[in-house]
Parts: sequence; C-alpha cells; structure tokens
Amino acid sequence: MRCDDCGKPANIRYVEMVDGELRDLHLCDDCANTRGMALSLSPLTGSLVNMLMGLLDEMGVGEERAEDGPVCPDCGLTRAEFRASGKLGCASCYEAFAAELKPLLRRVHGSTAHAGTIPSRAPQDIETSRRVRKLQLELERAVHAEEYERAAELRDEIRRLEADAVSGDAGGSSAKNDAGGANVDL
Amino acid sequence: MWTFESMVGQPSSWLDASGPRSDVVLSTRVRLARNLSGHPFPARAALEDLTAVEEKVLTSASKSNYLTNALVIRMDEAGPPVHQILVERHIASPSFGAKPEGRAVVVGENEVVSAMINEEDHLRLQALRSGLQPLDAWRLVSRIDVEVERNLQYAFSKDWGYLTSCPTNVGTGVRVSVLVHLVGLARLGEVAQVLGGISKLGLSVRGFYGERSAALGGFFQVSNQTTLGQSEEDIAYTVERISSRIVELELKAREELVARAGKRIEDEVWRAHGILTSARVMSSEEVMSLCSSLRLGVARGMIDGIDLGTLNRLLVVTQPGHLKYFHGENPSSDERDRMRADLVRRELGNRERAQ
Repeated sequence: MRCDDCGKPANIRYVEMVDGELRDLHLCDDCANTRGMALSLSPLTGSLVNMLMGLLDEMGVGEERAEDGPVCPDCGLTRAEFRASGKLGCASCYEAFAAELKPLLRRVHGSTAHAGTIPSRAPQDIETSRRVRKLQLELERAVHAEEYERAAELRDEIRRLEADAVSGDAGGSSAKNDAGGANVDL
Repeated sequence: MWTFESMVGQPSSWLDASGPRSDVVLSTRVRLARNLSGHPFPARAALEDLTAVEEKVLTSASKSNYLTNALVIRMDEAGPPVHQILVERHIASPSFGAKPEGRAVVVGENEVVSAMINEEDHLRLQALRSGLQPLDAWRLVSRIDVEVERNLQYAFSKDWGYLTSCPTNVGTGVRVSVLVHLVGLARLGEVAQVLGGISKLGLSVRGFYGERSAALGGFFQVSNQTTLGQSEEDIAYTVERISSRIVELELKAREELVARAGKRIEDEVWRAHGILTSARVMSSEEVMSLCSSLRLGVARGMIDGIDLGTLNRLLVVTQPGHLKYFHGENPSSDERDRMRADLVRRELGNRERAQ
C-alpha cells in the first residue's frame, strides 16, 4: 500500500467520517505526522465503520438476506435497520440478534463474555456463573502453563461453586474470598 | 449554591493541573454506559419512555451522596448556548442538543462527576480527574454507579454484561480516556509512530477538540477500544500503564528537543508568551498552538509565574460558546477574536495591558 499523500510505502491506515462520508486513507509516518495524525487503526480493533464492514463480511453481503433476518419482538428493530445504523434498539435485541452479534463481538472485542462488575441487584446466580467462568479461564491458563497444583485447586473451587449454586447457597463468604484471592494471584 | 452561572464562572476543577503527571497529562475521564430494563434505548424510544427514564434516573441520582446538590439541566429548557458550553466543558456530547426533549444532564459540584440522560444510552455517568488517574476515576464513578443503581434496574445479561445501544460499548460499558499533550513527540516527528504503536495495543487515539488540535498543539486523547471480556479495573490499569509509557516517551522527547535545539525552543516559548500577553486579536487556532508552546516552556521550567492549570483552562474558556456566554449576545467572529485576546491577556496576568 502506498501513501495517499506522497506515494511512499504506507504503514498507517486512517479512517475518518467527514460530514457522513467515509474516507479511508493510507499514509506513511511522515505524512500522518504532517496531518497531525488523529488516529491509526489496525483492521481488527477498528472503528464502528470497520465493525460494520466486519459485520457484513460475517453474514455475507446481500440485501435480500438482510430483509428476512430476525426482528426484535420488543422494539421491532429489523436486521436491515441494525445493519444500517450499527445500533441496537433495546435490551431484547441482544437475544433477537444473538447469532450475528456473537461473531461481531468477538471481532470487535476479542471476547464474547463479560468479565466486569455486575449490578448489585442482579440475581445471585449471575455472580456465581461469572466467577465460575473466570476460574475456568484461569484453569485453562494453569493447565497450559503446566501448573498442575494450581489447576487442581481451581478445579476444586469450580466444583464447589457449582455445587453451592445447585444447593442454593451461592453467596457463601468463602467463595467471595477465594475469588478475591484469585484476582491477586493472576 | 451550585448553579449554572457559578459553574461557568469558575474553572472546571479537573483542569487545575493538580493531578499526577500534569506536565504531560491534562485529565482523565472514565464514563459508564447504562440502560434501564423495560425501556427501548433512546434512539428508538417514544417521548413517554424518554421522560419516564429521565424521571427515574433523576430521582435515583438525587439520592446519591455525590449528586445531592447536583445541577440538573433539562436540555429542552436550556437551548443551544447552554448546550455548547456543556460540550466545551466535556459534560455533554455534541449530538446531545439535537433532540432536546426528554434529555437532561446532571452535574455534581466542581464538575468532577456528571451524567447525561438519554444520550445514546439511558445513562452516561462520568468522572473527570486532573492528570493521570484512571484507576482513581474508575473507583469514583463506580461508587456513584452503585449508589445510583439502588433504585434502578439496569439492562444486564450474564453473558454480555451491561447492554448498550452500540455493541462497541457492551460488557463493562466503560470508556477510560486520557488527554495527553505530546508536543515533544510531535516536534520530533515521532508522534505517528508512537500512536500507531498504541493502536496495536488495543487503545484508540484521536485528536482532541477535533483533528486540528492534534496538528496545532499535539493534544491527543488515548482511550480503551474494547469493553467486553476484561474487568473495568483491568481496562483502567491497561490505559494507565500505556499512558505512563507515553508520558515517559514524551518527557524523553522534550529532553532531546531541548538538547538538540534548546535556544530555538526557548525562543519559541518566549515568542508564544509575548504574543499571548500582547495580541489584540486571536483565533482559537492561534491560541491552541501558542498555548501548546507555552505549556512546553512552563513544564520545562523555562518560564516562571504561569501555572499549567491556567493554560489548561484557556483551552476551554477561549472556545466560542464560552466567549458568547460572557459577551451576553451573539458576537461576530471578529468580536470573538478580540474578546479571546482580551481574555487570554487577563488570564495570563497582564491586567493593566488588558484594559
């Protein structure tokens, strides 16, 4: 790829919206610098525009398919509308468009699983399942690193949490402490 | 009493350059995107949904210890001049004034904490801190989130976290942004390389106050790109770590700049000072560019008696919305440039000459 300004090899891709028009520039370091370089994007981490392009690739471009896609039962958002705006209409859209959101989220965020805080009013089982998922990730890492002792501890912890959840005692204080400890360790 | 007038009359506290690494970092902002369950997101909501959400959020926010005396501005009553001031003070987004019905902002004392209601999401809660303080700002906004949430049911999925209008915000809904002044790297022609590296690390970089501020002054905003799959604390920590690295690179660049061309830099700094304290007519571009040079001089100890906070504030109060507000009516562009020059001279302490 050549720099759009001077023709030297370009190593920065610059995507911007100007009055609703998409401009996609390739620039060398010097010209990017001269322009006061607003942002440079790798295709994987990109802007909304990149994300939408990714979305189109993911589902195969074609208007007729967009027309018969799912419709959100709550707010009536159609797949065509979702594709056009890149925005969802309500919380239920996440269920309605789950099939297309999953690859999209993986592409945009590199993940499809929430690992952050949860609302204090969320049901207890959400907290438990979130902790279990976190421990499972750690378990995979421990096995990969051949830290078998740590892996065994994690496995036991996961079993215990799952058993607690089944017996309805998900909020045990020991579970909380252990989760905190895991945070510090890794 | 915390009113709109008192807010505009005093500088935003997060610009006072009291925070860590203020020589390079102006401020840190952490915002959370939240929606209430049972209502469509604002873009697809009827007015009755918007007003219902507005009332619920306002009621709940007023019970937070951090927002008890907060200023509430309903956008349909406020009008474009107020909106413009809120944008310049980083309290509202530029698009927030377009459809004012059912929209409001809540501004806590000293503007450290504020909220937009019914922007792209039902609630955008933010904390602004001086200097480089991502973890601190995250903890603050998180405490308020917990308080505000007591009387609200957030839209949340156990797989995908907090549900947001745009899938780029889903999960934590957190955006951690650091405003940096990379004048040294810009002068050495290394800024694009550094910023290119940052984007490979999963952070995004954009010019602050639009693209021209990057070209004119080396002001950039660094923020996290992804919101799903990591904890908020990890995201804040990543932004903090990478920003600290950028600060080191910038300080090194300034060192090198002075080593290579010390006299020229000193000359540039004093020329900037001369123009800023003497000129009678100034465009906002000129102020931006000269403040950037002067900021470099102040940070390097070349000039005494000017503090970085004053220069930070000038970037905000010399913008058109603020000038219009102080003028009382709609000034022409020439009048604005004159007012701007007067204001800059006053702020930099040349009172007798400003008369």
